[in-house]
Amino acid sequence: MTSAVRPDSAAKLSGTAVYGTDLEAPGMLWGALVLAPVAHGRIRSVDLGPARAIPGVVAISSADVPGLVGGRIGDPERPPFPPKEITYRSQPVAAVAAPTREIARAAARAVRIEVDPLPAAEDLDAIFPEWPTTKVGDPGRIAAHVHARRGDVDRAFREAETVVAETYRTSSVHPVALEPHACVAEVTDGTWKVRTSTQTPFGVREDTASILGVPDRSIVVDGTWVGGGFGGKGAAILEPYALLLSRASGRPVRIALTYAEEFRLGRTTLPSVIRMETAVTAGEIAGRRVRLLLDVGTSLPGRDFATGYSIGFLLGPYRTPAFEVEGYAVRTNKPPFGPHRAPFAPQAAFVVESHLEEVARAVQLDPTTFKARHLWRDGDRTPFGQPVVSFGLSRALESARATADHWRTSAPPGHGVGTAVGFWSTNTGAGGEARVLLRPGRLSIVQGEREIGTGSVVVGLAQVAARRTGLPVERIEVEYRDSSQAPYDAGVFGSRTVGALGRAVDDAIVRLLQILAERIGAPEPATLEVGDDTIYVVAGGVRRRVPELWTAEEAASGAISAEGKHYGKGGEIDETLVLDGAFYPFTDFTGAAHVAEVDVDRETGSVRLVRYAAFHDAGVVLDPPNARAQVEGGVAMGLGTALTEEAIWSEEGRLENAGLLDYRLPTLGEVPPIEVHFVEGWAGAGPFGAKGLGEPPIIPVPAAVASAVRDASGAHVTELPLTAERVARALKLL
Amino acid sequence: MTASSIRLTVNGRPAGLDHVPADERLLDTLRWRLGLKGTKEGCRTGGCGACTVLRDGAPVLACLLLTHELDGSAVTTIEGVAADPVGERVRAAFATAGALQCGYCTPGFVMALTGLLREQGRSGSVDELLEDLGGNLCRCTGYATIVRAARLARDGLP
Repeated sequence: MTSAVRPDSAAKLSGTAVYGTDLEAPGMLWGALVLAPVAHGRIRSVDLGPARAIPGVVAISSADVPGLVGGRIGDPERPPFPPKEITYRSQPVAAVAAPTREIARAAARAVRIEVDPLPAAEDLDAIFPEWPTTKVGDPGRIAAHVHARRGDVDRAFREAETVVAETYRTSSVHPVALEPHACVAEVTDGTWKVRTSTQTPFGVREDTASILGVPDRSIVVDGTWVGGGFGGKGAAILEPYALLLSRASGRPVRIALTYAEEFRLGRTTLPSVIRMETAVTAGEIAGRRVRLLLDVGTSLPGRDFATGYSIGFLLGPYRTPAFEVEGYAVRTNKPPFGPHRAPFAPQAAFVVESHLEEVARAVQLDPTTFKARHLWRDGDRTPFGQPVVSFGLSRALESARATADHWRTSAPPGHGVGTAVGFWSTNTGAGGEARVLLRPGRLSIVQGEREIGTGSVVVGLAQVAARRTGLPVERIEVEYRDSSQAPYDAGVFGSRTVGALGRAVDDAIVRLLQILAERIGAPEPATLEVGDDTIYVVAGGVRRRVPELWTAEEAASGAISAEGKHYGKGGEIDETLVLDGAFYPFTDFTGAAHVAEVDVDRETGSVRLVRYAAFHDAGVVLDPPNARAQVEGGVAMGLGTALTEEAIWSEEGRLENAGLLDYRLPTLGEVPPIEVHFVEGWAGAGPFGAKGLGEPPIIPVPAAVASAVRDASGAHVTELPLTAERVARALKLL
Repeated sequence: MTASSIRLTVNGRPAGLDHVPADERLLDTLRWRLGLKGTKEGCRTGGCGACTVLRDGAPVLACLLLTHELDGSAVTTIEGVAADPVGERVRAAFATAGALQCGYCTPGFVMALTGLLREQGRSGSVDELLEDLGGNLCRCTGYATIVRAARLARDGLP
């Protein structure tokens, strides 16, 4: 039942697939954003005059959109334009549109911004000068504080045989989808229509409506093929500006970011500093303390979600009798914190895995044995009291360990082998709806998401329908509608597309099969099959063509339809443990154990990945070739996080490496062969036992690479990425 | 800025281009003047390979070439590559190997691989072929399926 050739192959191999960057409209103007010249400052004036003096140019700033100061949440740091205070460099302060791209760029440069600079805060250490004590230098810099405790932690540490305390640091990484953000907007007769490349058409609709102060329904979002998202295309970044420029000019307006703008303005996962302390008695973890400083960039106080979410991953998938976790979301003058494939989980896994390896070494135990002994198994509870259900990670680690042991016997001198685990929670809590249309010759799935690349829409939803109906997958067509026509769905993120939207599709099909059985008069749900190039409905021993079962109204529309939905419920955490702020439950448990073999240059500290193996609990795998491809791609992306990717911010809040030549992605020659294995027997809550697989493959990679580097060279690196310089410093070569 | 007429052959057909500014890039000529948007716009600095096309059969980056430099050249883009037997073999190999996900890097990879295989045939080594593809970035696949497609296309050459 696997698809030999992806159904989007033809469009993508012929150049006919239309992406956001390809959009245009008759009479269109080209838009450009005017970006703040400082990271923090008070605006004295924004003079659009010189731009407007250029023929054909339309220009707008805060004064042209009175009352629009940050949407229904009243956030002055959200679009469209800051009226008074700039809070990060590259924040849009004005926008222009012109007949050509070149004129638009010239007009953007012509806008004169006068700013009184204010001191910028970029560095977590400067904001917490006495770290690891959490005495904060400037309380105004705290966006959120989360704090939780379980058991007698102080006693666990007081009575411990061994205590290991370390500080880790992680860097800022950017999603870098190859397609930059781009959209075309047109405002006509009270309808604000925008065509855009997005992971969340409905999210963009809600965001944009909120920012523009109009009802959701007056915004229509029409998606394109998405040239990669990885979390970066989840929010409205350009759409409000394009719509405002269209309203001001009376013409369609296109805005596309340059790569430099993409780096400077797009959302990134920002730096963190993490303190890890573990108490061990008799070879068992007796207590843990975790403290997190997370840079959340420009952000309103009290509006942070990232910290409570991220800190949940810092205890790892390990049984922990007593713990205390405390996290601070720290406001800096950077762009807002944004998700990047499994937000903060790869960073957290790097910290947890490296630290527990250090702990195991301190008590002279084999790190993998020590981890395996503490790993969650079905029937355990998470530190926050959630039952662990259908979690195959310990089996994955057993398999990984066997591979690691085998590789060690053949690794040449200078090479090292490392093992690490990571866990994730398929976000099936975010809901969605779908409609199915049974036509005489095919079954159509009508829904609102566009394919982002994983195959979760064009392959995954079709696989669900094929399995439920019995039809061959070639008879199933995934149809897309814009936000005014499609059933609602939360978006393509959180590894949820098959797990949540797929369940809505499944629900619709189950209803359809019931309707068909009722019409035949059979007690059991119908199944579908193909014969003579037409679809037959089979139930109670009766076989009917679709036109024999439809009503006059359905005949006119050409299909029998049914609707389905899935609004999942997340798990629950033990709220009595929470002392401050918000923590979040996991929904569907998933995880992976990875093995890396590296070669470390003992003179320069540079690291080369030699081979790699990944063992995943992905529940029931619906489409093995795509599942394998997903793991291969996630591992390669994780290799970037592990070794080369680091957005470098100056003290003045300037992004110093806003381009592909300085922000280094893994290239073809740097990614070795990757073995992919799936451990079976732990069904997920998704259709037919599926679990999400979009994000898990990236999670263990930095940790596995760090473990291998340590095995190869002895270098215990406590900061991501593991650049040659950091490895060399750990080896005292520098 | 001077603007003048340029003669190109694009996908086998003559394309007369008038009033081409001296600083117009081949990428913009293809996409916005000729409407051939299968050639993707990525970084515009030669760093990603998404805009790879063939100039007189050899892979080049359309974002780094000025259209004026190409007067008299023959350009092949993804829209025309199926007419080339090697190009068609490469496209089939990408489909069979599942060597695409979001698809944004795909036209650039197909053009680069087509150009390299046209130059080398089966005489060049696989390692050389893969090294020559190193200037094309993919963020989705981790290159594994692309490497499979490259081997498949090369091995299928006569």
